[in-house]
Amino acid sequence: MDTSGQLAAHFFREHSGRMVASLARVYGMTHLDTILDAVQDTFETAVTNWRYHGPPDHPRAWLSQVARNKLINALKRQARHSHATEAEAPLLALSTTDPDPVLADEAPTDGQIQLLVACCHPVLSERDRILITLHILCGFGVPELANALQLNQEAVKKALQRCKALLRQKSPKLGQYSLAAAAQQLPTVCTILYLLFNEGYKATRNSKGIDFDLCYEALRLAKLVRPVATPEAEVDALLALMFFGVARFPARLAAYGDWIPLEEQDRSLWNTALIAEGFHYLDQAKRSGYAGRYYLEALIASLHCAAPHFAATDWKTIHDLYQLLENIEPASTLIRLNRLIAQSYAQGPLPVITELATFTVDGSPGAAFLLAATKGHVYQRAGHAAQARAAYEEALHLAQNPLDSQLIRKRMEATIL
Amino acid sequence: MKEFLMLIREDANYGELSAEEMQACIEKHYRWVETLREKGQFKEAQPLEAGGAHIRGKQRIVSDGPFLEGKECVSGYYILLAESLEEAIEIAKGNPDLDWDRAVEVREIMPMED
Repeated sequence: MDTSGQLAAHFFREHSGRMVASLARVYGMTHLDTILDAVQDTFETAVTNWRYHGPPDHPRAWLSQVARNKLINALKRQARHSHATEAEAPLLALSTTDPDPVLADEAPTDGQIQLLVACCHPVLSERDRILITLHILCGFGVPELANALQLNQEAVKKALQRCKALLRQKSPKLGQYSLAAAAQQLPTVCTILYLLFNEGYKATRNSKGIDFDLCYEALRLAKLVRPVATPEAEVDALLALMFFGVARFPARLAAYGDWIPLEEQDRSLWNTALIAEGFHYLDQAKRSGYAGRYYLEALIASLHCAAPHFAATDWKTIHDLYQLLENIEPASTLIRLNRLIAQSYAQGPLPVITELATFTVDGSPGAAFLLAATKGHVYQRAGHAAQARAAYEEALHLAQNPLDSQLIRKRMEATIL
Repeated sequence: MKEFLMLIREDANYGELSAEEMQACIEKHYRWVETLREKGQFKEAQPLEAGGAHIRGKQRIVSDGPFLEGKECVSGYYILLAESLEEAIEIAKGNPDLDWDRAVEVREIMPMED
């Protein structure tokens, strides 16, 4: 803490994951619920106290000490109620005045990586993995989770219960994930971080458009696992992709935006420092010699970031990169649509109209919206006003949020003129 | 300059507050107290432990908390410095606790007669 009495931004949220990880490492995942309660209780004590006196000189140490004492007392209470097994006896014999294993935990980062790997266990659904990661590693409470992932609070509570039960069962000891073993799991973890970032970025939830908190946490966790990741996890490429994404946040918001109005974005609003950060990680990814999905996506994002204005975009290369991506992920509607958009700029709208006309998407309303919006845009640029209007009408019905509707209406007005 | 006691009354249940909100609560208070200090309107403040006892009457009947019939209880106090009750009320209105729907009570501390 500095002398101004200010805590670092998101200090509680980040320290929450760190404390849970350290405590779970020492006392075991079987006590996960008690650990989470003790950590929550610790923050409540901090609010009661620090509100009056300001944070202590060493807030980390203060929180760790209080959390550990609360946990030991809770475990002792539980042991009195249900006879403690012999295996647990040595832990309970710890007095609250003994040296603190949490403070003494010299590798809090390792603990967090192991906990993150446990939270991304393949036995959980992708949605559940995102939920439990945000809850346990990022200190998101039930109302925040419900808001971020557009679920009702009861559904979130039930999902968390289910996840915690599975975690206790599947990962009783965090130590089972040696760092080498954890590193093997990182490609799966990175998929979850990628999805988490997109949850924040795709903006289907609220009128403010982008949920910065989700993107911020995805970035933080990606940086956390970076030191132990193997090239196959593509962490550097993922970080590059995320930085290129957040660099363009301000312009996207100003332009009511998603990927179509890239054309309209005021590029002077792009954050050049974050773009530089993106290029740094892209360079690191290049050195790793492994070019997977995230690397290709990061390269595409870098080309957009490198173009001084929309007309200067290197659509030919972007189109080729999307084709490579399509080979890796042939089933992805989003990649195919993006390839078609790139093609429509590289070769003109006419060559892609035939393919768009026969393009159908299954189920997902989000994908159906993007397809209709893309059709409208391509028809519009080809001068087919009637078809453009019909496609935009369809898109309006499928719009997922106010920003989407607003964007389509603007485009429809442009079609009339 | 007169002294005023400001009692904070709240439902001592933060269960619905997230880590981020709790941090925001601390920071708002810290900044607020700093501005009071700068203006010379702050004397002291202390939180109160949740536990305690209630002792009543000649029989000295002791009972544990909670201390109020309702769910709210006094969670802490401030001693404010102001020229008048009106000014003390204006100061108290700035207490960030009110943003979390807590209640504050402001009372002048009766000065000792010379």
